[in-house]
Amino acid sequence: MREFFLPKKGYRVVFFIGKGGVGKTTSSAAAAAALAERGYRTLIVSLDPAHNLGDVLMVGLKDKPKKIAENLYAAELDMEKLIKTYLKHLEESMKHTYRYLTVINLEKYFEVLSYSPGIEEYATLEAVREILANGDDWDVIIFDTPPTGLTLRVLALPKISLIWTDKLIEIRKAILDRRAAIANIHGEQEFTVEGEKIKLPTREQDDAVMKELKSYREEVAFVEGVITDPEKTSVVTVMNPEMLPLYETERAYKSLKKFKVPFNMIVMNKVLELRTEVPELKAKIKAQERVLGEVGRKFKGIEVVKIPIFAEEPRGLERLRTLGGTIVGE
Amino acid sequence: MKDKEKDPLENVRAFLKGFFGAFKQNSTEYLEFELRELENVFALTLMGAFVGIPSPPTTLVIRILPHMTRELYVMQRRVVDMDDVLGELAGMFEIT
Repeated sequence: MREFFLPKKGYRVVFFIGKGGVGKTTSSAAAAAALAERGYRTLIVSLDPAHNLGDVLMVGLKDKPKKIAENLYAAELDMEKLIKTYLKHLEESMKHTYRYLTVINLEKYFEVLSYSPGIEEYATLEAVREILANGDDWDVIIFDTPPTGLTLRVLALPKISLIWTDKLIEIRKAILDRRAAIANIHGEQEFTVEGEKIKLPTREQDDAVMKELKSYREEVAFVEGVITDPEKTSVVTVMNPEMLPLYETERAYKSLKKFKVPFNMIVMNKVLELRTEVPELKAKIKAQERVLGEVGRKFKGIEVVKIPIFAEEPRGLERLRTLGGTIVGE
Repeated sequence: MKDKEKDPLENVRAFLKGFFGAFKQNSTEYLEFELRELENVFALTLMGAFVGIPSPPTTLVIRILPHMTRELYVMQRRVVDMDDVLGELAGMFEIT
């Protein structure tokens, strides 16, 4: 079996990435089925808002892991529900804490938030974090991801979030320093809002904002730690032998390198291999061969597994297991 | 009579209190200004979407927002004051 599918430090996380329509879901479900068959407790989670993991496995899935076969569990995350739950939670805690904030039209702000650019990426990251936090329940966690663009942004988020959080912690420290200095001279400072007196915290351990900033930093640093650890995380790119997926894979390779996320394997899906010559397909096969050559040249040291094009899509556990065997290795 | 004798001391005390009070006030004036600006920047950074600048992670904003009463208040006040900047300028150049 290929080493980067094996759990080394507790559990293994495998992201299947690639352009839309190249066969990520089929490949990831196949790998999951093969791993489960080999005795690894495997969870496969679809992060793609346009789910079709359930279609491939031929079962209805929800956002909680469902047992499909011995050792094999699957779930489809409901992004819309996730985002709504977040905002609902926020709205309630805000209303509970500060009624007066409606003055600045905060309700409108929630509305904006639910459509704000990036919210989907953050919700995805949050979902990934939650699954990783309970990672020890599994041997292998496979993520079937949305098309490359979104996935790359999600994988880049922890690093970006850390930069933001560190900057905010810095500003917060400066605020608390100045508050402490003023309190030293004038005594404890209070702030009155709508007749309610609020004591202004001056120490880091009393400041709710600082506490949130620090616990968020810890959570993000945990995800960052997992996804940049080659002993824990692997990324498998699925592509077709065509020029556009090749360009996209190249971009993904560069981005992942920049964010220090491991890149382990390319699954070359839908490769045409004909026993007899068909003149109509000659050009197509030539084009595929050219891409295959390019892949070998551009991704030196990266393993490439070729999957032939099937007459019909492999669905159902039995066929997936056979295909998965090719991906994870015998 | 006795009361009148006490008066000068009390006056001195009151004077000293006022004197040091004013001194204390002056000493923190700059700090308070700096604090207000920092609180404003902090709120603005988190709620940048309001003014069209990129915001930090939405999850973080969502988590911190309930604790931001003071900063939101300061930010709101600064926005109101900003309106006055034009008024002040107009006043300065006697544009009426």
